[in-house]
Amino acid sequence: MAGKIAIVGAGPSGCYVAQAFLKADPGLEVDLIDALPVPFGLVRYGVAADHQGTKGVMRQFARIFERQGARFFGNVHIGRDVTLKALREAYDAVVLAAGLCEDRRLSIPGGDLPGVHGAAALTRALHEHPQAGALPALGPHPLILGNGNVAIDLLRLLCKTSEELNGTDLGPGPSAWLAGNAFEAITIVGRSPAARAKFDPVMIRELGKLGNVSIKVEGAGRSEEPEEQKRLEALAAIDGHGSGPLKVTFRFELRPLSVEGKDRVAGLRVEGPNGEETVRASSVLTAIGFDSNGDLDRATLLDEAGEREAGKLADGLFAAGWFRRGPRGTIPDSRTEAQATAAAILEEMAPDPARAGPAIFHKLENVVDYAGWQRIDAAELARSTPERCRQKLPSTGELLRAATQQDIDQ
Amino acid sequence: MKICVLYGTETGNAEMLAEDIQSALEDDHDVTCRNLADTDPAALDGETFHVVVCSTYGDGDLPASAQPFADRLEDGAHDLSGVRFAIFGLGDAEYDETFTQGSEKLAAKFKARGATQIGARLTHDASGDDLPEDIALPWITDILANMSVEQEEG
Repeated sequence: MAGKIAIVGAGPSGCYVAQAFLKADPGLEVDLIDALPVPFGLVRYGVAADHQGTKGVMRQFARIFERQGARFFGNVHIGRDVTLKALREAYDAVVLAAGLCEDRRLSIPGGDLPGVHGAAALTRALHEHPQAGALPALGPHPLILGNGNVAIDLLRLLCKTSEELNGTDLGPGPSAWLAGNAFEAITIVGRSPAARAKFDPVMIRELGKLGNVSIKVEGAGRSEEPEEQKRLEALAAIDGHGSGPLKVTFRFELRPLSVEGKDRVAGLRVEGPNGEETVRASSVLTAIGFDSNGDLDRATLLDEAGEREAGKLADGLFAAGWFRRGPRGTIPDSRTEAQATAAAILEEMAPDPARAGPAIFHKLENVVDYAGWQRIDAAELARSTPERCRQKLPSTGELLRAATQQDIDQ
Repeated sequence: MKICVLYGTETGNAEMLAEDIQSALEDDHDVTCRNLADTDPAALDGETFHVVVCSTYGDGDLPASAQPFADRLEDGAHDLSGVRFAIFGLGDAEYDETFTQGSEKLAAKFKARGATQIGARLTHDASGDDLPEDIALPWITDILANMSVEQEEG
């Protein structure tokens, strides 16, 4: 079949959808469009810099372009450079896999005080996302609110010494920021009991390798349920770990009431099993989920969706990944879902050869194709050092320059 | 030789390596490649040489696509004596305590049912510098060469 498919978002979900399409039918034209000049989304900017093994899926995704014929259109913002309407007219099927990039807001009194930062914004800044803001001063006692893997990633990175960051792709700016922080204590606060926290036990165990910390786990409680017990065992295994100067304390079952402080964060007022208290904090880092930034009018699309559960929004328009199901699920979850999504779309797609396909991007400037990404990739790898496996180009300007640079040096 | 490459995967990396092994061997052999999720232990036969590629997930667990196969192997009274297999593991040494335990556990399950392991279990570390195929392809080529020598001598 010679159908034309556009996938908006070249992150893990979009890439897995493309892979599933091309595996099912190598004759399809599959185009991945991303607002950034680079592909791979959260694998590049969300998966922590010290989890390079997890980033290994990028090799699979590279093959989609290098061997299976998918095309990349980077630096193309659907909704701004090209309307969704125009995209839908040009393709037989459009899959929205643009993710969710905004931090869910902490909607309690004081939730917008200076010193309250979202984990997504911080993670982007740490990983040199071209649209990230500057890394903020967190003071000596940051408090992380949230108990998912995002919270644990952030905690681990904040605790690592320079040596422990060897082999990562953390940039010079973020590395200097981490080294200069001089935290005294980090408290991580969860709303649920420890047994029902969302993090994976393996992420907790990994904290037992940190050299600069001393870890205390308070009020983890008990459970009879096997999955919950795994979580509690992991926490028990790190309780008391280390004798380093940076004190890390896990607290559970604390419902946040308000962020305390006059002109900036001084603490978090919480209610727990033993009543109310204020937990000292020089900053509050919220890792309580992600939300849409309003792009592509996701809320309306989902509200009006014909078969929302199946990811079908309208005729020829589908959703995948976090854009579809909310900010839950791991990279393998996206893969399983992508295979089902692609199969369902192929079942009902009726290709129309008159559709324009990627011709609608021809008039745009600074579109980065896959060869452009390969030049960026090569430039970043060439900047690697003995301590860093890659040095990302941190701004859109630098990325675009590298994408168009001829290989004059070689 | 009739070869069946079987993979247990979670993110697709083991599947990709299985396909690479298939491509590398199919000039000289009759090679098929399939997901362990779609494989019935009862269908494994003594004539085919099974090359298993298996990752590790979570806390040293089998990857999702190997789990149903392992469960079937556990539940049924399968006799795999006569079945020959080689196994290659994928893992991430960042998690050193559970590194490549998925393939280790799966190999044990094959052997517990009487299957014969050919060659050593080699592994790839996702946090290392090597590419999985650069370890796995020489590994399987060596195993096959040894097998054909033994066949000639036998």
